[in-house]
Formats: sequence, C-alpha cells, structure tokens
Amino acid sequence: MALLTYREAVIDIESGEDVLSALLRAEVDARHSCRAGVCQSCLHRAVEGQPPPAAQEGLSDAQKSLGYFLACLCRPETPLTIVPAQEAGDRFEVSVQAIDRLAGDVIRLRLEHGPDFSYRPGQFIELIAEDGLGRHYSLASHPEEDSFIELHVRLYPGGRMSGLIAERLAPGRKMHVAGPLGTCIYEGIDPDQPMCLVGSGTGLAPLVGILRDAWRRGHRGSIRLYHGVREPEGLYLHDQLEALASERANFSYVACALSAASPEGGDVAQAVLERENALADTAFFLCGGERLVTRLKRELYMKGASLKQLRSDAFVPAPYQRRGERRPCLQPLPR
Amino acid sequence: MSSLYDRLGGAKAVDAAVDLFYRKVLADGRIARFFDGVNMEEQIAKQRSFLTMAFGGPNKYSGKDMREAHKRLVAKGLNDSHVDAVIEDLSSTLRQLGVGEKEVSEVAALANSVRNDVLGR
Repeated sequence: MALLTYREAVIDIESGEDVLSALLRAEVDARHSCRAGVCQSCLHRAVEGQPPPAAQEGLSDAQKSLGYFLACLCRPETPLTIVPAQEAGDRFEVSVQAIDRLAGDVIRLRLEHGPDFSYRPGQFIELIAEDGLGRHYSLASHPEEDSFIELHVRLYPGGRMSGLIAERLAPGRKMHVAGPLGTCIYEGIDPDQPMCLVGSGTGLAPLVGILRDAWRRGHRGSIRLYHGVREPEGLYLHDQLEALASERANFSYVACALSAASPEGGDVAQAVLERENALADTAFFLCGGERLVTRLKRELYMKGASLKQLRSDAFVPAPYQRRGERRPCLQPLPR
Repeated sequence: MSSLYDRLGGAKAVDAAVDLFYRKVLADGRIARFFDGVNMEEQIAKQRSFLTMAFGGPNKYSGKDMREAHKRLVAKGLNDSHVDAVIEDLSSTLRQLGVGEKEVSEVAALANSVRNDVLGR
C-alpha cells in the first residue's frame, strides 16, 4: 500500500519528506503558511492509518484522537490516507428506520448504517439526498448503545431538506451520509471536572450524545445542561431530561424559553453567565446558533474560561454554508 | 546557553501564555477595537504564531506577511501606541507566569523587531 494517499490519489513522497512538501510537489493546492507547526493552517485528517505523534504537537486531545495532524510536521512511516481537515471524506449508504415528531417543528430521524460507518458522540454528518442536496446534522446517538444514528431536524418553512424529510421520507428509503466531522466530543476532560453543556434549539442533539458518552466513560464531576429555545414547546426533551436530573445527583437541567409566557423564562446565555462559576476549571460545550455560540464563547473566555476547555459547534444557515465546513442553522436565532 | 525559546519552555509556554495574553489584549481598551468581529479560533492561531515568534521559536514570519496582515488595521489608525500596548500586555503576561526580567526584555525586543513591518513602514 502506498505511503501517502490524498483523497483517492497516490502521492509520491520521499523518505523523510513531510506530507505538506509532498502535496505541494504533486501540485495539490494545500493550505499552509508557517511550515513550522505553529500556525496550524495545514491541518489535515487521516481517514486511514495513524499519523506520527510528532505531527500532532499542539493539537487538542479531541483532534488527536480523531486523526487530525499538521502536514508540515508529518513524516509518515506507515501508510496514511488523508483529506483536508474540513472535508467530510467517504460516503456511506444509510436507510431510514424511523421518523418521529419530537415537537412542533423538530423531527427525530433514525437511520440504519453499515459496519463501516463509525463516529464519536457529538460529531456531525452531512446528510445527502438523492438529488445531491446535502445538509449537516449533529448526531444525538451513541455508537456503542444505539444500532442507528439519530438526528434532530428542525423543520424550516420552505427549506429543501426539511421539506423532503417531513413530506417525502418513509422508512426503508435509502440516503447517504458523509463524515463524520467535528471535534466537539468528550475528550481531554478529567472525570472529576465540572461540565457545562449549552444548546439552543436542535443544538441539544450533540449534547445528548456527549452526555451519554461522559457517563459511559465514567465521568464523576457535576454536569449542567442548558437548553435554550424561543417557545416552551421547543423544549423537546424536557420530560426525559427532568427525569434524568431527578435520578442523578450530579446532573442538572436548566430549561430556558425566551417567550414571556413561559414559566422557564429567560435567555439561555444570561442563565449560563449568571449560574456558572469556577469557569477556569469547567469543560464547556456550546452548540447551536452561531450568534449565541460566538457571544457565549467570548464572554465565558473573558470571565476566565480556558480556551482549550471551550468546545463549540456553531450552526450556520444553509445558504452560507461552505461544503464540509459548517452546518446549517436549523433554528432561527433568538432575538 | 540554551535558546530563549527553550528557556521559556517551548510550545508548552506558548500554550500557557496564549490564554492569558489574548484575554488581556481583548480587555485592553486601547487596542480592543482592532479585534471587533474577528473569529476567535482564527485569532488564537495567529496569536500562537506571534507568541512563538516573540519567544524565539521556530517560525517563518516574513515582513511581507506582517505588512499584508496589518494593512487593514493601519488604515483604521493602528500606530506606535498600539504596538506599545501589545508589548506591555505581553510583558505582563510573562511576569504573571513567573518569567524572569531578563527573558521578559528579550521577548519584548523580539516583538518590537516586527514593529515597522506591522505598521507598514
């Protein structure tokens, strides 16, 4: 097997040569800048094979565990198949198992997949319909506990994928997924560290996976989960999360609905900023609308949260989505 | 004698400093406006590159890149006083991390060495 494969092309690499130099010599237009392992602009991901540890210097624990590496520092000794960091990689066929409505405009889609597809809870995939239409959705399922993958889809009036899922999809229907992508996973966390999970709208989906993963991996520290929505009807896992909170001493659930009529009133970002303390020690996961995620990330950082412990996944509306980079915002942002 | 970068603790020192340094810069009323609306992840990568350079570490900083990267900011009024503020924030970050005065001034001198490129002179 060739030492270096880029997407599907075998790349000629000399003994002792770094991957970036080999890619550039093969006229691959690979992003790069410092060529010294500092700027991280030549970040790539190994979809097959394990990059040498020296090529992962300075990356987060999540990135390391998911095969990310710096091409300029990578001198492979064993075969590697690589893609640019933001590229989804291989496609897999999936089949629709169930479609259920979780709330007025949130659908739960469960898909059966083959043994080749693997992921970590909290990652996301690109869901691809027959006509090539692709949208990103977070995974709410757990690979070791569920035989299916679960997506929470916010229905958008006039949205193409939303329309297809709500009106034309039926169990048994074949679709494709590409990925998984994303580094918002339970990795690099101390089992006794406090965790704070914040999701707006269907930003709750990845958090459900992460929560289950944390417990499965023996997390003992306190976990607080905040769910922010506009109307109380949008609190689509309210009962299940309340039940979990009463069963588990170390878990609490904070529901925040913006509308004035709601008993659980309030802005989720404000609730987090008011209630969270010990910011410097807490592992944060922020998922949902881009504006909320950006604002909260900056405020938490300025108040003392550590950059390494601020994991986030911002949803971006489909028209602004660059393929493989980010996911569509499937919920309008709260005002 | 070992290099400045090794004495400071190499890549681990950059990791330790970036959190404190970038927070100081964003909270510094003299320069915060130059960071309005920037993407935090991209900025952090840039701050890591800057710190590595200022710590005497491996880098390929070129005058041309520096000029190009700060052109927009110079047009917004970036001047010597802002460079001074950044170097001040950098020095206080290092002191907070327990770095000796000798190293603090060596880092300040390295940061100062790109002043003219940053200001497009």
